Amino acid sequence: MKNDDSYASRRQFLRTLAASGAIAVSDLAWLEAPYLSPRKAHAATTVRFEFYINEPARYAVVQSLVDRFNKSQSDVEVKVEFVPQTQAHQKLITAINAKNPPDCCQMWDQWLGEFVGLDALEDLTERVKGWKFYPSTTPTAWQALTVKGGIFALPLSITTEAIYFRPDRVKEYGLRMPDENWTWDDFLALAKGMTKPEKNQYGFGMRGAGKWAVPYATAFMYGNGAQVLKDGKVVINSPEAVSALEWYIDLFRRWKVTPPSVPTDGFRQIVQGFSRGITNMYFHNSGSVEEQKKAIGAERFATVPMPIGPAKKRSAFYFCETLVMFKASKNKEGVWKFLTYMMEDEQHYQFTKVAGNLPTRPSLSGQPPFNEAPYSGFVKSFPFAIVSPYLTYAGWGGKLESEGMPLLQQALLGQISPKECLDKWADVLTKNMV
Amino acid sequence: MNRDATLAATAPRALLSHASWEALANYAYLLPAAVCLGGTVLLPILKAIHMSLYQNVLIRPQDYRFIGLGNYVRIVQDPVFWLSLKNSIVWTFGSVFFQFIFGFMVALLLNVPFRGRVIFRTVNLLPWIIPSVVVGLIFEYIYQPNYGPLNDLLGRSGLMRAPVAWLSDPNLAMPAIIFANIWRGMPFFTIMILAGLQAIPGEIYEAATVDGAGVFQRFRSVTLPMLRPIIVVSTVTRTIWTFNHPDLIFVMTGGGPGNATMIPSAYTLIQAYINLDWGYAASLSVILLVILLVFTALYLKLTKGVEEVAG
Repeated sequence: MKNDDSYASRRQFLRTLAASGAIAVSDLAWLEAPYLSPRKAHAATTVRFEFYINEPARYAVVQSLVDRFNKSQSDVEVKVEFVPQTQAHQKLITAINAKNPPDCCQMWDQWLGEFVGLDALEDLTERVKGWKFYPSTTPTAWQALTVKGGIFALPLSITTEAIYFRPDRVKEYGLRMPDENWTWDDFLALAKGMTKPEKNQYGFGMRGAGKWAVPYATAFMYGNGAQVLKDGKVVINSPEAVSALEWYIDLFRRWKVTPPSVPTDGFRQIVQGFSRGITNMYFHNSGSVEEQKKAIGAERFATVPMPIGPAKKRSAFYFCETLVMFKASKNKEGVWKFLTYMMEDEQHYQFTKVAGNLPTRPSLSGQPPFNEAPYSGFVKSFPFAIVSPYLTYAGWGGKLESEGMPLLQQALLGQISPKECLDKWADVLTKNMV
Repeated sequence: MNRDATLAATAPRALLSHASWEALANYAYLLPAAVCLGGTVLLPILKAIHMSLYQNVLIRPQDYRFIGLGNYVRIVQDPVFWLSLKNSIVWTFGSVFFQFIFGFMVALLLNVPFRGRVIFRTVNLLPWIIPSVVVGLIFEYIYQPNYGPLNDLLGRSGLMRAPVAWLSDPNLAMPAIIFANIWRGMPFFTIMILAGLQAIPGEIYEAATVDGAGVFQRFRSVTLPMLRPIIVVSTVTRTIWTFNHPDLIFVMTGGGPGNATMIPSAYTLIQAYINLDWGYAASLSVILLVILLVFTALYLKLTKGVEEVAG
């Protein structure tokens, strides 16, 4: 299906090529610096570090950071093991059960409760409180990393969700540009106005598959005053939640402002749908900003906070990439040295720039590219963002995908009503409050 | 006369007879294979049965305990399991039936001499050579409703007005995946049947022709009976593989939408690696084992009949 947006002029092409070349040269110079001179570490103790890869750029920056660290040390040597992200969780659990975890690793915050429950992580509270960057780190980061009163990780990067949209198409179709005070009605009007099936364009790229399908729907429910937990009881099937889910599902079933593939659209599909010019809005964290910059250009998309719901509320969930130390490590001082090295200004900035997530210190997040337009929706979302309620119990983690996602898909397909979907989901959550 | 000197000493009686020694030696030759098979097949099965009797959720080691048949009771009460079992019947028999029909047709075509036959035979093998995960990704792209080539082709040819969500519609997802599996598995039947066709002596066809048999009679009375052993073995083997392998489904839909393409082997994987509920996953594997044992018994019964026919 032909899409005019996928064709660039020769001038655009050459400009993009030159810009990419310049970025590549400057990045390469930084990334490859450790290879330019021999290593200094001799007779050092080894630290095993596992890092999870979902894109090649992360591999390059982490390898470079590790090499730089090794070059600067005489008593500690870090050996990094790259693991595909899709296998990471299962491999780590298996390693812990086999009593052979790494010394430290990168970990998503939604796993923390589970691994603390397994008694596998070192409580870093005391070390963190004495660390030089503790006071200057955004408090929300510490909030996301606190489990049962203890801090179990360092915040490698932080982000939250916002709506990506195409200002050029908003103008083209003569619609009202979204601003930070927009509402659900404005959102629906914009999604309808930007749905042009004859051009193979849809207003909103909704996520119906993967682990985040349910949390994204939940974030909308919070805009209608719903909650997952209230006074220790699961209330995700409240009338407010049901009414919000009805509205959310209507985007697909009634208003048809989404692509017809929603029930099986995961992360890759919603990101690519936007970068191919098929969808004109989608909801995601800042992790796909850099990809969209390369795909459609920074000047052709923007981000805006979640619209305000009927209850005059809105929400987005924090998302934190962390560094953790394992309890079983025999070289905790070496691990701490490495983890804090990764959080130094230059290293932290370089990593977050590549990852597309935000640094956890305002002094760094105020620098380019984080103070530029594509990131503004995320920065503006922090004041109302909350820690994901699905992090409350370790037993909820796996259920989001194995039970929550099929229920949401059934509701999207009209096989069950939104109320039945949430009643069943509340039942699953209640049974797994462990 | 020295009496003692004339008496021959009685030879001590052998501990085992010659025949017993021979049998023992034969068993000793089998021992390495038996140890290997026991270690790689029997022990894991026993371990899975053992695991299935425990509550064993990796993220809750404190709850690890013996629960007897608790996991099996859970299976009986689990609607997703029953749905997956129903789906697996459609998935397995839908795939194998059409793989066989089309594979047979292609084998008959490739058995006829024509120019470029070697190239066609090689090309025919490609779907079988490509890893199934790659096949899944290729077909996922082909079926993509918004930018996939299938909808594009249907749209351009005027056969489709609105994009069809092949993998997101519960009524279309299973047929779409079965089609991908037919494409992938067809060469297996083609190769097997082609080998069988080439092993049929030409004299039998000549004799049948002399006796006045036409094309269809030769096919019915010579080709099919001669191919029976190969058809039985390949069909039963492929049925077991298809029932047991969730790779295409896992890549293309993950069992969705709304469990519409969930089969027991995919469900077992989800329980083991997403929910980390190894006790429940083990009990699902044991159920799968029992179902496959029934298939195997059928296979042995059918192949025994085949041997008698062939003999």
